[in-house]
Amino acid sequence: MPGQENRSIFTSERIGLLIALAILSAVPLFIKDRAIVELIILANIYAVYVASWDILCGYTGQVNFGHALFVGGGAYAAALLNFYFKTPPWVTIFIGGGIAAIFGLIIGTPCLRLRGPYFALATFAAAAVPYGLTDVYWEITGGLDGLYGISPIWPTLAGRYYFSLLLTALCCGLIYAGGRSNKGLILKSIREDEIGAMASGINTTRYKLVTFIVSGFFAGVAGAFYSHNQLHVGPETLSINLSILVIIMSVVGGIGTITGPICGAYLLTIFNEMLREWEELRLLIYTATVVLMLIFVPKGIVPALSEGISQLFKKRKGG
Amino acid sequence: MNIFLEILVYGAVQSAVYALLAMGFCLIFGVANIVNLAHTALYMIGAYLVYTFFSLLRLNLAMAILLSTVSVGIVAMGLYRFCIRPVMYSEWSVLMVTISLALFFQQLMIFFYGPPDRNVQGFIQEKLTLFGVVEIDAQRLLTLGISVILLILLWLYIYRTRMGKAILAVAQDREAALFMGINSERVYLTVIAISAMLAAIGGAFIAPTLGARPEMWSPPLGRIFAVVVLGGMGSLEGTILAALLIGYTEVIISFAISSYFGELVAVLIILLMLTFRPSGLLGKRIEV
Repeated sequence: MPGQENRSIFTSERIGLLIALAILSAVPLFIKDRAIVELIILANIYAVYVASWDILCGYTGQVNFGHALFVGGGAYAAALLNFYFKTPPWVTIFIGGGIAAIFGLIIGTPCLRLRGPYFALATFAAAAVPYGLTDVYWEITGGLDGLYGISPIWPTLAGRYYFSLLLTALCCGLIYAGGRSNKGLILKSIREDEIGAMASGINTTRYKLVTFIVSGFFAGVAGAFYSHNQLHVGPETLSINLSILVIIMSVVGGIGTITGPICGAYLLTIFNEMLREWEELRLLIYTATVVLMLIFVPKGIVPALSEGISQLFKKRKGG
Repeated sequence: MNIFLEILVYGAVQSAVYALLAMGFCLIFGVANIVNLAHTALYMIGAYLVYTFFSLLRLNLAMAILLSTVSVGIVAMGLYRFCIRPVMYSEWSVLMVTISLALFFQQLMIFFYGPPDRNVQGFIQEKLTLFGVVEIDAQRLLTLGISVILLILLWLYIYRTRMGKAILAVAQDREAALFMGINSERVYLTVIAISAMLAAIGGAFIAPTLGARPEMWSPPLGRIFAVVVLGGMGSLEGTILAALLIGYTEVIISFAISSYFGELVAVLIILLMLTFRPSGLLGKRIEV
């Protein structure tokens, strides 16, 4: 039952998160392979994408098919500022987040009235607008190739790694705390029964709009970080493929749990690398996995596993 | 005057294809409440199968089209039975399953046929001159003709036969239809097969003009969204009207400015309609 979690899982979940953070912060000390460190930087950024998606979609039950709008909005805002006005990265990252938050407000307002498939269609369409515009205004945005030569967040690889980890820990931590707070519970109540939530005196419109803005902000920050990490911004940050990848990661991890989608992001990024040799089979396996997951394990890997483990403990205590 | 006639002809062809695709999409949504994002993937499969049967295996034309249409219909029924029905309890699981299926088929086509375009030779090779000024491939006109015939047949099927009555009944109220002894599962399967076959025929006839490409499913998906949202989900008359509006708008804008803006217009129409009139032009008032 959602909303009736066991208290003891909370603490073991927190311990698990701390252990994961400790392992992640030790990565550049022990792994000397540059490619793997770069890969984990990417996974860190993806973790923020999916966490910010999950706080909006997993918690309020509305599936956003255009999360790339926020990511790409942040990425392009940061890249354009840095490229044309030489704004330093630590400023552009926040401006990128701010721009994406404004996108969240703009797209959130009409979407509030919509439900189910209509909401999905509207977000899908909204993300297609800036994607088309990057091509129309190619003199400014670099068109399909994008812009190269954006300044790096930090010159050394280890520095960049720790910055990405800081970003992930901060953003995901805040989102996680938000999801576990009373506000998160209110969002879940909107998902379960919006009219019931309204009847309990909750201003559901305001909550949903704020969630849109928060989701946009964090995705935008991560998108801005991404363009400073890759030293490049291109329309792939706005593409429907990115939006779908975010959904796939969340579905595999377990929607509505924040930690689940984050695990999904790390799992799939690593999985992605393992499947590099079978490039053309990769998406085939991904999509087939999602379909099978939705049919057989609709909760996602992490909730299914943690439920299994807690049941195991219960049996031990009982017997 | 020339431009006017050209817009008239090309707009009609464009609208007819959109109507054919949107009709199937709208039918499944109206009857079974499934938003099938894999709908245009079936259209892509139709194009590839006609390429396989007609251009590779050199079967005769009618046979090739029949085979590809029927196999797409069977594939769609299988997808419904094994992938969509198990997740129908939640609307967004259906969305995710169908979009995953669309991507899955895109990759499957890349796997089998490779990423480059496959050209299908025209069913009719010649070029025609209409009204003395408009030059157009006979293939496009053939597509227009077939689409119009199919839409009329579909209309007759839905409003003039027993099964059509059952379809309408289930669309109105599934449980009441069940009490009247209508097998709603069979109605769903029929509707899915029909809509998939319409998409496949559309794909088969468009293949000689546009070629068969793995990404060919995504641009029309945006357009049929626009058509269905504009016309009102679940309204067949509205869909035809909206297909004409969107098809002509797109052709006019492509002629006047550039084809890029044609795409953006579809998207803007979706956003504006969803904001101000979510039930569409002719749709019944709905709770969205």
